[in-house]
Amino acid sequence: MIIKLMVNDKMVERDVDPTKRLLDFLREDLNLTGTKEGCSEGECGACTVIVNDKAVASCCVLVGQVNGDNILTIEGLEKNGELDIIQKAFIEKGAIQCGFCTPGMIMSCKALLMKNPKPTVDEIKRSIEGNLCRCTGYTKIIEAVQQIVEERCNNE
Amino acid sequence: MKRIGRGIGLSFYGTGYGNGFPDVSRAKVRLLKDGNVGIYVGGTEVGQGARTIFYQIGSETLKLSSDNISFITEDTSLMPDSGTAAASRQTYNTGNAIKIACENFMDRLREVAKRELKLNSTQGLKVNNGKIYLEFFPRKVISFKELAQKQKGNVIEAEGEFVAQTVEMDSETGQGAPYWPYTFNACGVELEVDVLTGKVEILKTRFAQDVGRAINPHLIEGQMDGGFAMALGYVLFEDLNINEGRIKNQKFSKYLIPTAMDMIDLENVIVEDPESTAPFGAKGVGEPVMIPIAPAILNAIYDAVGVRITELPATPEKLIEAIEDSKEGRVVKHG
Repeated sequence: MIIKLMVNDKMVERDVDPTKRLLDFLREDLNLTGTKEGCSEGECGACTVIVNDKAVASCCVLVGQVNGDNILTIEGLEKNGELDIIQKAFIEKGAIQCGFCTPGMIMSCKALLMKNPKPTVDEIKRSIEGNLCRCTGYTKIIEAVQQIVEERCNNE
Repeated sequence: MKRIGRGIGLSFYGTGYGNGFPDVSRAKVRLLKDGNVGIYVGGTEVGQGARTIFYQIGSETLKLSSDNISFITEDTSLMPDSGTAAASRQTYNTGNAIKIACENFMDRLREVAKRELKLNSTQGLKVNNGKIYLEFFPRKVISFKELAQKQKGNVIEAEGEFVAQTVEMDSETGQGAPYWPYTFNACGVELEVDVLTGKVEILKTRFAQDVGRAINPHLIEGQMDGGFAMALGYVLFEDLNINEGRIKNQKFSKYLIPTAMDMIDLENVIVEDPESTAPFGAKGVGEPVMIPIAPAILNAIYDAVGVRITELPATPEKLIEAIEDSKEGRVVKHG
């Protein structure tokens, strides 16, 4: 089946089995290996990408289901060699340790900030509830997003 | 009905392999062709921050900006062994090896500089900011870059080895000094137990970790936050549920680890008391952060509802059963 979709602002057209998981399509067909495979059943959030402004677990979506959709992966955040504010905040706050959850975690935070530019701490926690992290205890991840919100409030 | 309880847990933990087992870290330092310094070390970065700490220790010892240092790590064909990234030993053991290797390297630099500068001795030669100079006559100077160019084929390098001092315990009496150094840890929690549902909610915590010297407080906080989260899961929900050798909770939907929703604001306290045998006084903090948390939570549960849980995790089911038994005056070990 010919699949046409936008991936990181680029039109992609491929002849692919529509029952292939979106995760495998991204990693194997498009070589976008920033998206990680963790539990393969939608529990850990490592494979989170944004489909039409919503964070989804790409292990639980088939590529045929996102035909014509707009996909954003961790590779699409950097613009003209400059990191996204969330990536910068993660680095500054030390919100990364082993890094395996990081791409999915950042995409969940991105989806949150796209629809809610100034979330509360509780809203931040809820938005990453489906992203498991064994290293950081989430503290510095939450602080990184809080820092973005604080900067936005101060710049008003 | 909810009951509030408070508890503390205290622990001390020996880092490294211990018990007389050979615990060896090695490092190699070399002057590179471009005048930068290469540090070759087998210590593995797994996200804990080993590379950052190694950079800091190397940079501080060599009195050289980290921009002029290349770390070449995790390739056994290029570098000596630094032991495992385990036992919370990389900062102390490999950190010491790097410091010794850098000091040996600086001695080598002084010898070569003595020859190049046509001096009588290495006395008074200082190594600082990529230069070697005579302290009381600084015009006698040569930079790392010049030195590297003049050496042509000859490599200036030095190795360093650190062997931790531990004593095997007496197998008859259990006496001895199996580890060195120890780190000391303390945790206090205030929590709420729902007597009807058995649910435990942590309200407040204060958590202190002795680190020797905090050469990177940011990374230590990361270890403390992560250690607390891991301990929280270990005490309250994580259960492999092994039945006849099979793990029954083999999915994240059954084997529950803490999510962002389970975490509370932590009050981390870093206690500094530099360790004399450690590189710049710094001790390992990987594993020890987790240890005092379980006893603190279990003591707080006891304070709240008067029952002792002796096997983890302290699940709601286990707690309710223990509370019911205590009402009926039965003394049962809940495990």
